[in-house]
Order: sequence, then structure tokens, then C-alpha cells
Amino acid sequence: MREEIIEILQSVHPEVDYEVEDKLIDNRIFDSFDVVSVVSELIDNFDVEITAETMIPENFNSVDAIMNLIKRLEEE
Amino acid sequence: MSFVSLAFALFVTIVVSLFYIVPKKYQWIVLLVASYVFYFICSEKLIIYLLVTTITVFLCAKFISKSVKAQKDYIKANKDLSKEEKKQIKATFKKKQRWLLLLCVFINIGILAYLKYINWGIAYFNYYRLMWFGIVDFVNPVTILMPLGISFYTFQSVGYIIDVYNGKYEAEENIFKYALYVSFFPQIIQGPISRFNELAPELYKEKTFNIYNIKSGFIRILFGLFKKLVIAERVSPFVSSVMNFKDYGYDGFYILLAVFMYSMQIYCDFSGGIDVALGVAEMLDIKVAENFERPFFSKSIAEYWRRWHITLGTWFKDYIFYPLSISKTFLNISKWLKKHFGDEIGKRAPLYLPLLIVWTTTGMWHGSESRFVVWGLMNFVLIILGTEFEPVSEKLINKFNIKVNGFWFKSYRIVKTFWLMSFLRLFDISKDAKDAFRCFSMIFRPWNNFNMASVYENLSISHDDFIVVVIAIIALFIADLMARRGPVRKRVLEKNTFVQWVLVSALFTVVIVFGSYGLGYEASSFIYGNF
Repeated sequence: MREEIIEILQSVHPEVDYEVEDKLIDNRIFDSFDVVSVVSELIDNFDVEITAETMIPENFNSVDAIMNLIKRLEEE
Repeated sequence: MSFVSLAFALFVTIVVSLFYIVPKKYQWIVLLVASYVFYFICSEKLIIYLLVTTITVFLCAKFISKSVKAQKDYIKANKDLSKEEKKQIKATFKKKQRWLLLLCVFINIGILAYLKYINWGIAYFNYYRLMWFGIVDFVNPVTILMPLGISFYTFQSVGYIIDVYNGKYEAEENIFKYALYVSFFPQIIQGPISRFNELAPELYKEKTFNIYNIKSGFIRILFGLFKKLVIAERVSPFVSSVMNFKDYGYDGFYILLAVFMYSMQIYCDFSGGIDVALGVAEMLDIKVAENFERPFFSKSIAEYWRRWHITLGTWFKDYIFYPLSISKTFLNISKWLKKHFGDEIGKRAPLYLPLLIVWTTTGMWHGSESRFVVWGLMNFVLIILGTEFEPVSEKLINKFNIKVNGFWFKSYRIVKTFWLMSFLRLFDISKDAKDAFRCFSMIFRPWNNFNMASVYENLSISHDDFIVVVIAIIALFIADLMARRGPVRKRVLEKNTFVQWVLVSALFTVVIVFGSYGLGYEASSFIYGNF
């Protein structure tokens, strides 16, 4: 899952080191356009329903945060 | 009662005193009573609209919250349900919740839309009936009295019920506490548009008196008054005069100067009012969301909109842009486009189509005339162009080895953004969209006839006023530059008492002496107060 998420993130911002970066939103590396692009790819790639209220900085600041979000949504 | 009146100063003094005198558990009640007294003084019988919004949203949110809880309890009590069964149960509950949400949003946005657009609708109805059927029996426009701050408290309430529907938090149980969240007096006139989970705990928390908050809030209020009275009020007649007399052969520089001055006016008017609101809240030790982050230092239009009227921007992002862009409809459109026109077009659909809706709505929010819709669309086009041309500008930057973070390039981007946004503001001050474009073209008239004597003589600004405005704008620029490292007032309060007194007295004197008012003068209302 992790690799898949990194691949999606790289398609939006290839220059970022996703193993290190943990403030993708807070540091304004990703804007709202980028978040939407990532979310639509996540919906396509994983069988989850992502809703607007989950699109908050805490869930998209790092690869781990996104991974936790996907796991949480898969369990629901 | 205007923010800029002695009555308001007295009102705030009484409220702040009472707030800290009463037992702490009653502090929120002082705020509620003060908010309703304030609103009643400003709007009298129009308070009924505020009550309707408060009661309908409170009740619908309560029922939705109850249903969300019942849904969770049911799933918890039936642990052996399969994933599919859980989904079905959720869908059943969600259906009921959705109806309640839609009903509530329909009522409240319906009231707002009716008040804002009914006469616009009647005018179009009359026009097309005449054009198509030749009927001259016109429907009369309705007399509308706009409740103060209706856009702001409606948006705040709609945000709350959507959050409750999404299960972000539970609905407030106490209608009086909820009523305070909707009506909190410093922010009801022109925002910021707060979120319940951020503002409500601040409003209900028991507060202890701290002189620091009073001083810091007071400085912020003074700075807000400085912007409103020394700059916005003084510039306003000049801008109006240029716009009224632009056809009398004034050369292009007059128009350009008016465009610049209007940018200053709207920034100082709106952010000045917000400073007063947040300053009062600070005196009460209540943290309210910021609405401006030095927007004139933005390096792109998208960034500008993240720093100007921040709470409206995030409202549109969270409640319109995100839900639309990841909705099944837009994702399906995206898939279809990807299949037929390729990935590049397909992936842009869920971004650009919702953005188009957001900017059309933002334009309509600013006013019912078509010029505001054109203004919204122009913003949309510029943001899209900025995004699409980013790879090209990156290539150019690399080719010419430009230092992106260097002073000159950054300054160029800031100046470019400032002027683009200022030119778009022509839609604010022109009669219609056509007039705005015509006015823009006037900037390119010859510049050889400009002279200040003519400005002072004909354009509602005296030599002294002009000098005060120029110095005040320079001071504002320096203050905004200094604010890069955090609020300037916090740094003032780190100085010793003597220096604090000197600086605050100086600001106070400037506002009193150079504020654009005299005996019996009442400052015009805030521009955004009419929204």
C-alpha cells in the first residue's frame, strides 16, 4: 500500500522526498488542487469512499497519515 | 451601531466590564445578551431572520445528530453484521439525515437568495417578458431590508449543520449556547466566518481577566480604526469622483491612481473592520479565526485568495470545492474524459469544473449584478492560466537562471499580483461589466495631462488629505512588512511600559487627529457589512 501511495504522490509532485516529508499540507507543498488529484487517484486505486470531511491537513500531511486514513476507511 | 462610533466604544466597554465582573459560569450569557442587544439595536425587527436561522439550524442539527448516534449505537450493538449489511444500515440512516440537511440548507440559503436576488430576478423577468412577448405590465420590485451580516451568519450556520451531518462533531444541546455561536456580536457584521468546533469552545470557556488581552485587543482595534478612518474613509470620495467623472477627459493616470486607491480602500475598510472585531474578541480572551494574512504580499492569484478573506475561501473550499470535486458525478466525468480525450484533460475535470462553480458562486455572493459574475469568472480564468502556464514559466526561469527566491523576482511577482487583482476590482466600482472593461481601456489614454492641482480641485481630495493618505499607506506597508514575524502589537507589548504608552498614545492621536471625521460625523458603513 505504501509504495502505491508514494507512486500516486509522485505523480503530483515528483520532487518531494516522501519518506522524510511530514508536512505536505502545513508547509503548503500540496495545495487544494493537488489534494483533489491525490484523492481521486486514491479512490481509483483503493476500494474506499473518501469524503470531503476527511480532507483535512492531518490526513494528508504525510504518506503515513494517508495510509492510516485508507486503513481506517477500509475498516469502516 | 457602527463599529466606528462612540456608542460602540461605550457598548464594548460595558460588555467587557460585565464579562469579567459576573461569576465565570455566566460569562457566556453576558455575551449572548450583548450580542442580541447589539443586533437588535442595528437591525430592530429584522432580528427575526437571525432567530429563524438559529432555530431551524439548531433543531435540524439536533435531529441529525440523534440519528447519527442511533446509527453508531445500532452498528455497535450488532457486531456480527457483514460489511455489506453495515453499508446498507448506514445508507438507511443517511437518507433521513440527508433530507433534514437539505431541508435546513434549503430554508436558510433560500432566505439569503430571496433577499439578495429577488429584485434582480424581477428585473430580468420584466425585461424578457417585454422582449419576447411585448408585455409592458411590469412587476414591481419588492422592498427588501437586508438583515445585517446575513451572508456571514448563514454561511457559518450552514457550515455547522454540514459538519454535524458528516459526523465531525455532535450538535450543540443548548439552544442558547448555539444562539451565541451564530450571533457573537464582534463578528456578525462582516465575519470572519468561524467554525463551530473552533469558536464554540472559546465562547463557552470560563475566562480570567488579564490586562495583556485588554491592551493587545485595544491596540488591534486602534490599528483597525487607523485603516478604516485614516485611509479608507479619506480615499473613498476620491475613488467615487474619478469613477463619476472619468468621461470628462481625465487622462489614464487618474484612472490608474483610482484603481490603486480603491485597492487600498477595500483592504483598509474590510481588514480594518476585521481588526476591530478581532480586537474586541481578544479583549474577551476569545480567539477567532484570522481573515487576512497580508494579502498584498501574495506572489500569485491563487495565493492571494488564500490570504484575503481567508474564512470565506476555506468555507468554499471545504463545503463546495472538495465535495464537488470528489463527488461520483465529477469523478465519472473525469473518467469519461480520460477515456475519450486522454489523461491530461480527464484529470483536470474534477478540478476546473468545481472551481468554475466556486467562482461563479463567489461572484454572485458579492452581488446580484452580472458584473460580479464576470469578476468571479475572470478570477477563475486567471487562476487556471496561472496553473496551466506554471510549467512554461518554470522552463523560462531555468533557462534564464532566475533566482526564484531572490528579492527582485519575488517583488516582480508581488507587484504583478497586486495590479492584476486591483484591475479586477474595477468590476466593483464600475456600473456594469462593459463599463469596467471600458474603464480599464481608459488607463491607456495619454498620461500627459495629469496634474495634482486638478486632482485637488475636482476630485474630492484636498492636498492635505492626499499627503495624509500617502504617509498612512507607507506606514501600513511598513507595518505589514513587520508583521511577517508575527503580530506587531505583541512586540509592542514586550517593550517597557513607557515605550508602550508612547507608541499606543501616538497611534491613538493619529486616529483622533487624522481620522476622516469631524463633529457629528458618522463613518460610512463597512463595505462588506452589506453582504
